Amino acid sequence: MRIKLISMLSAVALSAMAAPAYSVDGAAIYKNPAKGGCSACHGKDAKSPIMNTYPKLAGQNEAYLLQQLKDIKSGKRNNGMTAAMKGIMHMVNDEEMAALAKYISGLK
Amino acid sequence: MKKSKLIASLIFSLGMVVSFQSAAWNESGGEKDDAMKLTPDLENGLEVYEVCSACHYPEGWGTKDGTFPQLAGQHREVLIKQLADIRARNRDNPTMYPFALPESIGDAQALADVVAYIAKLPMNPDNGKGEWAEGTPEFAQGKKLYDDNCVKCHGDHGQGKKEKYYPRIDGQHYKYMLRQFEWIRDGKRRNANPDMVKQIKEFTDKDMKMVINYVSRIPVEKNLLAPSKDWKNPDFD
Repeated sequence: MRIKLISMLSAVALSAMAAPAYSVDGAAIYKNPAKGGCSACHGKDAKSPIMNTYPKLAGQNEAYLLQQLKDIKSGKRNNGMTAAMKGIMHMVNDEEMAALAKYISGLK
Repeated sequence: MKKSKLIASLIFSLGMVVSFQSAAWNESGGEKDDAMKLTPDLENGLEVYEVCSACHYPEGWGTKDGTFPQLAGQHREVLIKQLADIRARNRDNPTMYPFALPESIGDAQALADVVAYIAKLPMNPDNGKGEWAEGTPEFAQGKKLYDDNCVKCHGDHGQGKKEKYYPRIDGQHYKYMLRQFEWIRDGKRRNANPDMVKQIKEFTDKDMKMVINYVSRIPVEKNLLAPSKDWKNPDFD
C-alpha cells in the first residue's frame, strides 16, 4: 500500500517534470525580455519590425519558424540579419522555441 | 519620410566606412555634445524609453544573466556616449543597433530626454553576481586587483566619473561586465578607453573573473537602489 502510494506520487512528480508543455506560454515568451524580447525587434503584433530588413513573422508557417529559430540558435543559419539575434538565442530552450513558433504562426 | 530614410542610409554607409578605421574613444563635437547641452524633457524621455523597455525592462534593470545590461542609475554622460557610439557604429552591437537609430530614438533632444529618464530610475537591488562570496581568496584577490587597477577611474566603490564618461559599474550584472571586459581586453570593443585596454592587457581569464566578481558584489549606495527587487516602475502601469 505504502509502496503503491510512493510510486503513484513519484509518477505524478515525474510527469509534472517531464511534460510542462502546457505551462509554456508562447505569447508571454514573445514579449519577455528574459526570453530575448522578440517583440522589441519584430513588433508587438509580429508584423511591424523595427527595421525594414527584419521579417514580418505573423502567420508564418509554424514548422518553418521553428526550424529558423533552431538554426539561428545553433549557428547553422548565419546569413541575413542573424547577427542581431544570435546573442539572445541562449535565452530560449527547445520547448520555448516550439511555443514561440506555434504562437507566432497563429497570429494574423 | 523618403528623405529621412535616405539620410539614415547615408549615415549608415558613412558609419560603415568609419568603422574600418580604428574607433575613437571619446572625440568631442557632434551629437554627444549637443545632447549634453539640452534641457531634458522627462515626459518625452519616458515615451522614448518604452522602446528600450522591451529588452531592458520598464525598470531598466536588464537581465540577471547579463544578456541585457542594467541601465538604471547609469550616468547621463555615459548613456549618451554609448548610444551615440552604437549609432555611429563605433561600438558593435547588432542587437541594439536599430534601437539607437534616429528613426527609433529621435534627434539629440530625444537622446537627452531618454538618458535623463534612465539615469533617474532606481537601481536593481538584486544584480547578477559572480560565484565567490566575501571571505573567499578569490574575492580578496579580486578586491586587490580592483584597488590596484580600477579605482583611479571607476572610483572606490565603482561609481565611475561622469564628467569623464567613465561608467558606474557597481550593481551591474556580473556576466555583462565579464563579456565587456573580455572584449575590451581583446580589442573587440572598439570604443574602449585605450588607457583601460593597456591597464588590463596582462589580466588572465581568472584575474578577469575575480575582479569582476568583486565589482558585482560592491554594495550600491542605498539611496540609489529601489526599495525591493520586486519594485515595478509605476510609469508603466
